[in-house]
Amino acid sequence: MSTLEEKIDEAKNLSMQIVKDSEEDRLMTLSVGPQHPGSGHFRFVIKIDGDYIVYVDPDPGYVHRGHEKMCEYRNFFQNIPHLERPVIHDSCNITYSYSLAIEDLIGITVPRRGQFIRAIASELNRLVYTEYWLAIYGIFLGHSTMFMWPAGDRELIIDLLERLTGHRVTHAFNIPGGVRNDMPYNFKEKCLTQVNYFEKRLKEYEHIFYNNPLLRQRTEGVGILSKEDAIKLGVTGSVLRASGVPYDIRKVEPYDVYDEIDFNVQYMKTCDSFARAYVPYLDMIESCHIIRQLLDKIPESGDVREKLLSNVKGPPGESFKRIESGRGALSYHIVSDGTSRAYRVKMSVGSFRNLLALPFLLVGSKLGDMPPIYWSLNYWPVEADR
Amino acid sequence: MNTASGFIKALESGTKHLFIKRFTLRYPEQKLKFDGDGYQFDPKKGVGIAGLRGRHILFHDKCTGCQLCSIACEGIAEAISMVKVDEHWKQNKKSIMPQIDYGKCVFCGLCVDACPFYALYMTNDYELSSYTKSHLIYTPSQLAVKPKYDGDVEIKIDSMGANHG
Repeated sequence: MSTLEEKIDEAKNLSMQIVKDSEEDRLMTLSVGPQHPGSGHFRFVIKIDGDYIVYVDPDPGYVHRGHEKMCEYRNFFQNIPHLERPVIHDSCNITYSYSLAIEDLIGITVPRRGQFIRAIASELNRLVYTEYWLAIYGIFLGHSTMFMWPAGDRELIIDLLERLTGHRVTHAFNIPGGVRNDMPYNFKEKCLTQVNYFEKRLKEYEHIFYNNPLLRQRTEGVGILSKEDAIKLGVTGSVLRASGVPYDIRKVEPYDVYDEIDFNVQYMKTCDSFARAYVPYLDMIESCHIIRQLLDKIPESGDVREKLLSNVKGPPGESFKRIESGRGALSYHIVSDGTSRAYRVKMSVGSFRNLLALPFLLVGSKLGDMPPIYWSLNYWPVEADR
Repeated sequence: MNTASGFIKALESGTKHLFIKRFTLRYPEQKLKFDGDGYQFDPKKGVGIAGLRGRHILFHDKCTGCQLCSIACEGIAEAISMVKVDEHWKQNKKSIMPQIDYGKCVFCGLCVDACPFYALYMTNDYELSSYTKSHLIYTPSQLAVKPKYDGDVEIKIDSMGANHG
């Protein structure tokens, strides 16, 4: 005796057989990007069957600039301005691990006040990056208010970074040996008031965006990346934490002053697009706590930078350092042959590692679910290409 | 949270913004105020002084024509070239001084870090646009001029939210 369900399954299998026979006629190929508004110098070719995606081929490389090769022709300081170009709005983080790796190679330690200022700049930059990412996530889903609010509130943090480093983006602030300059005299008070107000603003995002039924319906249960798959695919950062793995480099391998800071690793167990959109938001609130603690614990005076020659040479050898950036683990592997230029510089960036999950998540989902899945991966095309 | 109260909360939080001030800097009528006169560097201590990294200012009485700024820029933007000047200074035997092409400069300020004679600093002037590319090349005499910058607006945070006054 076959039940009704079995009969339906049988009929479905039969129709699938027909689909396979005439697949060439049924499938339609779409090229999303590189001029898609928001995909950002990145293309993926998808094949759809009706409304369902059956094949995805990500095609990065439109903004490949050869940063790793460029590092071999410049000395350790000249690398700083061009290394931050892949992620101009997270530039203190992308130069952070580079500086740590060079310091490890040369064998120096940064003065304590310098370590604190570095961490403050890094956390402020994480806020700027995540706000920008959130703004684009909003406009991807057709929520224009969520584009305007983070883009406006980002200005508060950019103003702080402008006072601290001298630039709105591309700060060139972290440098092997410490930071370029000390904090301005009134920075501490300004930073506290603006970060406190910023945190108050963040609470309003819950009402207009995260608790909005429209967003919930579009993202909840969409693009499930289970814990095992996330670990197998090697994703990192907020994507990994949204799949229920509380893994943060700041906690696992504390660098500089992060072992003295008390903070929680934010993670969620729902594994869907909503979790991937919500974890960076929770990270922003955690960053505000970290900034307040750092401002509280910073030594009143002291050096911020170890004096180094402009053509400083390291002993022959290797170094590997990683940090937690806005998109996940960001690591540098530097090989030196004893000259003032690196023999080989290898960057491992969070964006490229998260891209590997994209074909896995998109196949089998609807075409309309493509934007919430794609941008929830915390992917920045320019960084992935390097 | 159910659907109806979710929509009402979202509308409420958006409607609040009708009654607070707009957080917009009305440039160019308003300009931001900066701390200090721009990024400077103290070669004795080996550390910079915080400030905006705008266009450079060159002190002709201190420049020795040592080309260290030009060498520092070589791998970065190649914006600095040393040119002959008519002036004769005791410390500058070759009479050469930096000329900066702002079409190439990335404003990283590593040339300021390289100068050991307190001759090259950066200023608050960031409005450098021009109609032709050749106007972006600043000669040593143009770089010696101290810019006038009169920004006076700061971010205020009060009961009306953050605004620019």
